[in-house]
Amino acid sequence: MDQVISPIGFYLLLALGAVGVCLALPRKGVNPQPIGAVVAAAAAGLVILLLGLRAQGHLPNLWFYVFSLIALGASLRVISHPRPVYAALYFILTILSTSGLFVILAAEFVAFALVIVYAGAILITYLFVIMLATQAPSETQVEARADYDAVSREPVAATVVGFILLAALTTMVFRGVPTLAPGDPSAIPDIAARLPGRYSGQGLERVLEDRGMTAHPIGQPAQTGAPLDDAGGGATRPYPGNVEQVAFAFLAGHAGAIELSGVILLMAMLGAVVLARKQVEMGEEAKRAATLSEGGG
Amino acid sequence: MTTLAQANLPAVMHQLTLAHYLFVSAAMFVLGLIGFVTRRNLIIMFLCTELMFQAAGIALVAFSRFHLNHTGEAFVIFVITVAAAEAAMGLALVVLLFRRRESLSAEEWAEMKG
Repeated sequence: MDQVISPIGFYLLLALGAVGVCLALPRKGVNPQPIGAVVAAAAAGLVILLLGLRAQGHLPNLWFYVFSLIALGASLRVISHPRPVYAALYFILTILSTSGLFVILAAEFVAFALVIVYAGAILITYLFVIMLATQAPSETQVEARADYDAVSREPVAATVVGFILLAALTTMVFRGVPTLAPGDPSAIPDIAARLPGRYSGQGLERVLEDRGMTAHPIGQPAQTGAPLDDAGGGATRPYPGNVEQVAFAFLAGHAGAIELSGVILLMAMLGAVVLARKQVEMGEEAKRAATLSEGGG
Repeated sequence: MTTLAQANLPAVMHQLTLAHYLFVSAAMFVLGLIGFVTRRNLIIMFLCTELMFQAAGIALVAFSRFHLNHTGEAFVIFVITVAAAEAAMGLALVVLLFRRRESLSAEEWAEMKG
């Protein structure tokens, strides 16, 4: 812990963040939401900056700060916005910035899968259900927000417990992190040698370096110019791309799990159809509307 | 802009980047947890579980990058799969419950006992 960040300042900042989150949760009457959001964002930003300052000027990547602050701020808005549609849209923002973090970590395949599957498919389903299940505000009802959206349940207790959990989690994380050994980069050319086909040119590495990203593992200095694998009969094989590596990890070790996840998806689809098709007796008003529309059409 | 790859960092600093990602992951997880406990709208409670999935995904990808083991990234794909299945089932349940009570409040269903 001492190696990474000073504990007292860190816990003080966590307490500040807890106050901010508590203020930002929706409630009736006086609504200090913007103040709370600003306080929480300031606390999170200070923690991340402190982590960076301990690096003595060697900031990991400027985009890390941008994406992580956007991600944390958007997730604060997800849990604090009183209107569900906006919460879902802020969740899309969280996903986009999370995939930005994944791109910094050179996990492009997961990043794009996240954007396509989460932001493209799952969140659209959420938006549909929210719009289906939220009553439109009528003329007589000025206050369109439902009570269960406008007032949160036990904000103080939940925030205190949550931030105690965060303090415990980060303490353990920061204590454990300095003793972890980073991976061995020599394992990568092994994978390259086992993949079919030849990889000529050093395209991926150069592209990543142009974008200021790490084509190298965290904590491993770049070996620029050095051929990563020259055992291929004269032709150098640079890094296999991230997609190839993930595919290798997938198909070499988890073929059965892929089949199982197919079964899970099929079961979920069947279950969703069965659940959503269940007939529910209509109320009087709905019946009248149905007969009216039948007669009119 | 100095990237970590170009900077010749001392040993302690190498692990710092992992701590960055783990802090972001832990903070996002706790935000999702707080949201799950405090919000009373069923759909937002589901959104908060997705937020916690995201946080776990950040930690998994950071660890997989740190250890140069792509199993972590493969696991994130499975997490996305399970999240999709969970969203389908959960949202079907929410639609069903909304048709019965015309409300999304979780407290409408307080009388359910197991």
